[in-house]
Amino acid sequence: MVPLSASGRYATCVNERERIIERAAASYRALADLAEAIEDEWQYVTDLVEAYEPGLLALADVGGGRPPEPEQVAAVEEAIAEIELISDPHKAIDWLSTFPHVVALALGGDVHEPVGAGGNSGGYDASEPDDDSPFRALLLGDR
Amino acid sequence: MRFQDAARDARAVVYAGIQADPLVARAATLLAEATTAERLLARAAMNGERTDPDVWRRMFPTLFGEGAGEELRRHSELVLAASLEVANRGEASRSQFRGAIVEELTARLLAARATPAAPIRRERRVLFDGVRAEIHPYDVTVESGTRPEVYDCKWGARGINAEVLNQLDDAQVHAADEDVDLAVAIVVMDARRSCELRLDRSTANHANTRLVALESLDELRETKP
Repeated sequence: MVPLSASGRYATCVNERERIIERAAASYRALADLAEAIEDEWQYVTDLVEAYEPGLLALADVGGGRPPEPEQVAAVEEAIAEIELISDPHKAIDWLSTFPHVVALALGGDVHEPVGAGGNSGGYDASEPDDDSPFRALLLGDR
Repeated sequence: MRFQDAARDARAVVYAGIQADPLVARAATLLAEATTAERLLARAAMNGERTDPDVWRRMFPTLFGEGAGEELRRHSELVLAASLEVANRGEASRSQFRGAIVEELTARLLAARATPAAPIRRERRVLFDGVRAEIHPYDVTVESGTRPEVYDCKWGARGINAEVLNQLDDAQVHAADEDVDLAVAIVVMDARRSCELRLDRSTANHANTRLVALESLDELRETKP
């Protein structure tokens, strides 16, 4: 049985996954704020965030309720730490593209799927990514 | 239509020194044999803030964790080491090295299907009858007499701009005027979706320009645009 937390709510594995994704999404939005300093790229920054943030948030549902492995949590924490060090808005734009894929790779998901879409939500198994996933090669490895 | 060596101006001479650096060849060789995840690692680490390899090992457990096979871990270590060498060159040099690596990687992947009749060349211009010569050379060309190909290479999707797209499209149109089926493509070491967002906003004609993104680099070995 899942132990009760001090607050009386179930301390489920889902909460751990949601917690790390919420942190990742917050850092991603902060990165976008930094990137917006490049006025000529405002539209591209907006497009990147609109394209990737829903998929990033949907990673909270990856794994079908299984708890994230400690190494998966550590991987996302490192990715968050990396983008929080960025102060150059040009580099921030590059990482707006890279960060979601690094997080998705760590958690075994796919940031191309919108929130609530089939694909990777609920019960998604990283060992069997959707045939249509653009990152199928990334998830399975292609060596 | 014919290919021609690009003029060696001062910028080209300096850049040639970067292209000839052994680190460029080593990184390109490793990335040509890499998985998509390893290529993502390279993109991240070459553009990272931190150069402690343990940081990147923790960030990519699918490459360095217990679940990764021994061969994948060994190769990923080599990719990481080369990527951090690029990062350690400093911010000013990084972008030049990264650009040179994408170009060399493209050439190496294309080389898998090179023949004496379709050699792979670098830094070449394309001349058309009655058309003013282009300013910028193409990074990589496949100089086939029957189905020539030209490639422009970019580290990131931000490198996709109207000037590049117009040059590629113009070349394709001018070649068609000479009844030559010229394949034009842009190779980008960035996620396909990020590239497509960039292309979707571009007003330049790119309907006949193929996009080869990070996830599909291996297509260069086998398929023609």
